[in-house]
Amino acid sequence: MECAIELSGIGKTFGRGKAAITALDGVDLRMAPGEFLCLLGASGCGKSTLLNLIANLDQPSTGSIVRNTARPAVMFQEAALMPWLTVQRNVELPMRLHRVPKAERAEKVAELLDLVRLSGVNDKRPHELSGGMRQRVALARALASAAGTEEADEPSLLLMDEPFAALDAITRDVLQGELIRIWRKTKTAVLFVTHDVREATRLGQRVVLLSSRPGRVVREWHTRDIDGTGDSAEVTDEITAALREVISQHAAT
Amino acid sequence: MPRPEVSGQREQDGPKQDDPKQDDLSAVEAGLDALDAPVHQEPPRRLRTVLFNVLPPIAALVVLILIWQALWASALWPEYKLPAPGEVWAEFWSRASNGEVLSIIWTSVHRAVLGFAIAVAVATPLGLLVAKVPIVRAALGPLITGMQGLPSVAWVPAAVLWFGIEDPALYFVVLLGSIPSITNGLVSGIDQIPPILPRVGKSLGASNLAAVRHILLPAALPGYLSGLKQGWAFSWRSLMAAELIATSPALGLGLGAYLQQGNDLSEMSMVITAIFLILLVGISIELLVFRPLERHVLHSRGLTGAMAK
Repeated sequence: MECAIELSGIGKTFGRGKAAITALDGVDLRMAPGEFLCLLGASGCGKSTLLNLIANLDQPSTGSIVRNTARPAVMFQEAALMPWLTVQRNVELPMRLHRVPKAERAEKVAELLDLVRLSGVNDKRPHELSGGMRQRVALARALASAAGTEEADEPSLLLMDEPFAALDAITRDVLQGELIRIWRKTKTAVLFVTHDVREATRLGQRVVLLSSRPGRVVREWHTRDIDGTGDSAEVTDEITAALREVISQHAAT
Repeated sequence: MPRPEVSGQREQDGPKQDDPKQDDLSAVEAGLDALDAPVHQEPPRRLRTVLFNVLPPIAALVVLILIWQALWASALWPEYKLPAPGEVWAEFWSRASNGEVLSIIWTSVHRAVLGFAIAVAVATPLGLLVAKVPIVRAALGPLITGMQGLPSVAWVPAAVLWFGIEDPALYFVVLLGSIPSITNGLVSGIDQIPPILPRVGKSLGASNLAAVRHILLPAALPGYLSGLKQGWAFSWRSLMAAELIATSPALGLGLGAYLQQGNDLSEMSMVITAIFLILLVGISIELLVFRPLERHVLHSRGLTGAMAK
């Protein structure tokens, strides 16, 4: 089967000479279409950098990225909605950028807001929403990224950079459940970056652990089958142990 | 009692498609939305706000006039230095009743507005260039900031020598007075954009030009607006200085020339009337144009801290 994304030998160095920092070194990663992959690591493991490379917000120093999907939908830790636009206009923004006709835009916005269960807040401004609602609007907006582009019919890809990290526990829990629902419904591939082992095992079908400075793939686990069976508690403990080991290695130096 | 297995149970809750708890989630979500969304305060009553904003300045004005009247009555200064409030009013009324005041104000205001419009047209692309092109910023940034501090009246002699005592000389002074403020306002507006917004724009597929139109300019609007406000104040000031110095029948009777006339005739009531009119125009434009505009922009972005101003 064709991969959704295939990274080979990805390296990324910031700066030059003595001050240079190697964020990523020799990362190979493949993702199947429709797969839910969690990228796990402590601070400084370059997981956000890797996401930026895939999102084409930054260029790798070495290695190559092959992407067989539509324009990826990207979500950050902050919702980063445009504060001067209403919810409707925010979700519409990517389609306006791609010159999607107005009627089509309106239809797609209604569909996406319904998907994130936010119908009826179209005319509100971001500052009138709670943190969780803002993140859902951001998700709807991200999912509209591919609409109107030439690759729109390709399988979709959702890149998420710790999107729930700034939310309170209850909201985070609900949004994790919502994300799984939306993933099932849209059949999009998801690459989810997190530093939270529980979150990773709850969401991901596969969890990939990155080491820190430089970021390398340490190990990966298949955490659950497509139908949602499998014992997560054991895997969670195992991953936690591995993550602790990776972090402890930095204590000596 | 069985020990609840939290993590194991959660695992089964989430992914299963026909799980009844899925419906629960939508209810929980709706509940959270209702609880967590910021509560909107009722806007304070219209009448009260109006009274609160209008009465104090009027009271201050009345007190000022009373003090003035008292000082005049005490006859500490000769009449030609401190005329009675009534005399100034008579001067004002003699010009207002035949419509001359309107023509004086119009002569100056239409110059200032036209000059300001040209300044906006020049300063906006200039500001974009300074903000986004590092070499332009390095080259022009300090110069523009320096010019912002230079009293534009300093340009009047040069303007008169280059353009003669004609309209272009006045516009020249107005432009040099206001362009630096507007440019710097836009630059600081762009500098204060959270870096995440342009990144989001890029991830959504905005080309450079589209990013300027859909993200950069709207995001910089609050800073740009305060630059515009300051730019207007500077153009009005510069124009008054220029009109005061460069007077000629060819330029018509603007507020500055009217003030200068009062000076030439040693007519203190004319001088005070002129100052009063210059103030009036400044305050009116601020209250009728910039304040509502700024309020609207900040309010729609939830930046209500400035509302109390």
